[in-house]
Amino acid sequence: MKQSDIRNFSIIAHIDHGKSTLADRLIETTGALTKREMAPQVLDSMDLERERGITIKAQAVRLDYQSQGHLYELNLIDTPGHVDFTYEVSRALQACEGALLVIDAAQGVEAQTLANLYLALEHDLTVIPVINKIDLPNADPDRVREELIEIGLDGTEAILVSAKQGIGIAEALDAIVERIAPPRGDSQGPLRALIFDSRFDSYKGVLVYIRVVDGALKVGDRVRFMANGAEFDVTEIGVFRPHPVAVSELQTGEVGFFAAAIKTVQDTRVGDTVTLAANPAKESLPGYRPAQPMVFSGLYPVDTNEYGRLREALEKLQLNDAALTFEPETSAALGFGFRAGFLGLLHLDVIQERLEREYNISLITTAPNVVYQVQLVNGEQIRVDNPALMPVAGDIVEIQEPVVTASIITPSDYIGAVMELAQERRGVYKDLSYIDSQRAMLTYQLPLAEIMYDFFDQLKSRTRGYASFDYQWSGYVPADLVRLDILINGEVVDAFSIIVHRDKAYHRGRALVEKLRDLIPRQLFEVPLQASIGGRVIARETVRAMRKDVLAKCYGGDISRKRKLLEKQKEGKKRMKSVGSVDIPQEAFMAILRVEDK
Amino acid sequence: MTDPAINHWGLYVHIPFCQSRCTYCDFNTVTGMGEQDHAVYMKALMREWERIEDVPSGPLVSIFFGGGTPSLVSPDHIGELLHVVLTSPLTVSSDLEVTMEANPGTVDKKRLEAYRNAGVNRLSLGVQALQDHHLKRLNRIHSAKDARDAVSAARAAGFSNISLDLIYGLSQQTMAEWHETLDAACQLEPDHISMYQLQIEEGTPLATQLKKGQVTLPLSDTTADMADYGRDFMERAGLERYEISNYARNGRWSRHNRLYWTMNPYLALGAGAHGYWHGRRWWNVRGVRRYIEASLAGESVEAGAEPLARPEEMREYVWLGLRECQGFSRSRFVRRFGVVPEALFGRTLGRLLQQGLIERDGDRIRLSARGFDVANYVFREFVEETASA
Repeated sequence: MKQSDIRNFSIIAHIDHGKSTLADRLIETTGALTKREMAPQVLDSMDLERERGITIKAQAVRLDYQSQGHLYELNLIDTPGHVDFTYEVSRALQACEGALLVIDAAQGVEAQTLANLYLALEHDLTVIPVINKIDLPNADPDRVREELIEIGLDGTEAILVSAKQGIGIAEALDAIVERIAPPRGDSQGPLRALIFDSRFDSYKGVLVYIRVVDGALKVGDRVRFMANGAEFDVTEIGVFRPHPVAVSELQTGEVGFFAAAIKTVQDTRVGDTVTLAANPAKESLPGYRPAQPMVFSGLYPVDTNEYGRLREALEKLQLNDAALTFEPETSAALGFGFRAGFLGLLHLDVIQERLEREYNISLITTAPNVVYQVQLVNGEQIRVDNPALMPVAGDIVEIQEPVVTASIITPSDYIGAVMELAQERRGVYKDLSYIDSQRAMLTYQLPLAEIMYDFFDQLKSRTRGYASFDYQWSGYVPADLVRLDILINGEVVDAFSIIVHRDKAYHRGRALVEKLRDLIPRQLFEVPLQASIGGRVIARETVRAMRKDVLAKCYGGDISRKRKLLEKQKEGKKRMKSVGSVDIPQEAFMAILRVEDK
Repeated sequence: MTDPAINHWGLYVHIPFCQSRCTYCDFNTVTGMGEQDHAVYMKALMREWERIEDVPSGPLVSIFFGGGTPSLVSPDHIGELLHVVLTSPLTVSSDLEVTMEANPGTVDKKRLEAYRNAGVNRLSLGVQALQDHHLKRLNRIHSAKDARDAVSAARAAGFSNISLDLIYGLSQQTMAEWHETLDAACQLEPDHISMYQLQIEEGTPLATQLKKGQVTLPLSDTTADMADYGRDFMERAGLERYEISNYARNGRWSRHNRLYWTMNPYLALGAGAHGYWHGRRWWNVRGVRRYIEASLAGESVEAGAEPLARPEEMREYVWLGLRECQGFSRSRFVRRFGVVPEALFGRTLGRLLQQGLIERDGDRIRLSARGFDVANYVFREFVEETASA
């Protein structure tokens, strides 16, 4: 294909504005799939993604489109739709020259719309606004056009679409051809291909998704990954239409994948540059950075015998997930497990669910925490990714915590409510601006730890669902933090330790032991629960002894049924973790995050 | 009380018919069947009995008609079945106990006399509560007065062994009402009382009502108070607790239920009935129509069975035996299994002793007072991989 006939683009949108449905429709209209083959949202290939309505892994589809008798090759590069994966999104965008910015005709511009727009503009993309869902009764495209002008786009250029009804699809395709520039790039130069995704295939090894920026890639080439220097022989090259189809080469500007008997995605980092070993490029493409886990959590098998299986499962997941890290750790309470690092809470959730669902491992996940940078009295600077390992106060000069810059778009009526929430979460006010007469954008610096759990839910509930939210990492700042320990039956349970701000420690400790009192079932004996800071108890509760645990009922001679009931109860107890002699249910370990800071 | 000899056995006969279904009931019952259906069902029971080729060699000590509502079936039918069973080639104990469950709303003196003459010598009356609003809420077909009348009628009909079933932990039941039920029940001077906690069984109307918030159950502490109160009340009224849920005057322990706790054999007749013999538990098809068809066609009515390996029998022996207040006899265990219980359960028993949940009294190992409160905790130690514990 001639370089000038290629168009590479992404679709970006706020969640639920209809990105996946539009992608489906583009694929269907260009005839890449027959209607019968269309499962809803074909790009989301993992079941989990389909269930959660989010796209975790990017994928690329080549579409043939005839415009005024001329054949174009359109490459649609899908992007993950969650802030955990901002870096992946940025790499996918870098592989494109343009983007369709989808906006819900009823909802209008939201925080993620803006975040995506800025990201696209950062990468010099041509942005084509698409107002979707115009078939909805409450659609108001004119208002959305005005909002587009407010955010610096030409509202009159927006394309009106109903992906669901198939309206405006041809116009969108024509706009892609007309407005987005064909890829530039030096077809004669040494190969430089950008990795925007990769996934492990058990037959072919890792499939590396690339956009060829300069040069060309052929089957049989020996390639080099510029970040780590690893070299492989290309065994197969293909494109997705959206089913994989083998091709002999990828030329400048083209998008596709290759396989080279690569055993793990650890070698094929998103953002890295692929070049030819025989004729290497001098410089790699800009913007590469290794994936940085931001959130850490302890993963422990409920059944200690499953430690080995857990390790194998994590290793397998890591084959396909370069952002997942894990190291063995030992907890006095939970035994042998792993401290795992994730891009964010969604990433953690997905991994946890896959371990339980696909690998059938019953897990205890400790409350996720961020990574702290700690300046010690002895001059050392350490990273603490497990609250239980936070040094004692006397050894610490200063603790720093990660913060984000958060943008919150809200109807102006709720500005007060949003500010109150941000305040409660130790937010530092940065800016307030108006998008239009009714809506404002608030900017806050917020500790990552404070938005990790239910910030978004709270934001939604306090603004009746109207506010939207997006954030970016913005470094480390000092904070007055302390380690809060929980003692059960007089023993510190390390898995329950958390780092909290000093001003909140008392309330958090109080709320925590109250919560645990409700979550820990009554035991044979009375169990004291205590919260303490630096050895000083600040709150105490008691789980009273169980009064009755008895089946005062006859089933005639049906003893099997009685026995099965007892067996089932015993099975239920197996899902609890015995700490000391106290049985603690799995959910108690996550409860740490679910207490209100009131 | 001495344990039944190892070769004593019983016969359970299931009568599935009910006039209406109680909200909490998940037993195998059917409503809307008439005299005609009863006759055919009783014939099917007899066919099933006739097909049994082998019975335990020891004496038959108990026959138990359970339901459902056995008292819906005419005394003639009951008498006929008893006749067929008792004239079969088997050894019958000289003091055979024949229990029939009866709904107070279905019996009068005449009918009870007829059951008595048919051979029934123990009556188990489903009283449950003695407040009409509770009975109505449970969809019972009788009133509190019916219950009192049924006891008098049974006495007049010559029954000298009467048991009452009571339930506590009912929706909106107060402690005062529970006291009232206990008090009124004891004034009837029953020989035996079974005291059950209301259980919510999946699929019952009660479970649905609870889900919809139409009924609310007392807090677990209240239910525990009721259990303790009932236990103490019985003792004061001269009814001795001999099993987790059972109380008796003058040693009138339920001979039939004891066979379950001591793991003696029992055969089963009827739809959904369960039997145990020769290291095997089995159960019949539950559907009444299917049961009748199969039995009358001379086919097996067994729906399933579960062989109990020796270690499993030993486990069950221990936890079933612990249901009785006197616990289980070590020497009887040794006679039956050829090893001491400690050989398998040494560590578990040691731990439970140390926790104060069981105690030893000569030859017997039994639950302590605290052990009775948390009996399921103790029993769980003996299900599944107890040998490795």
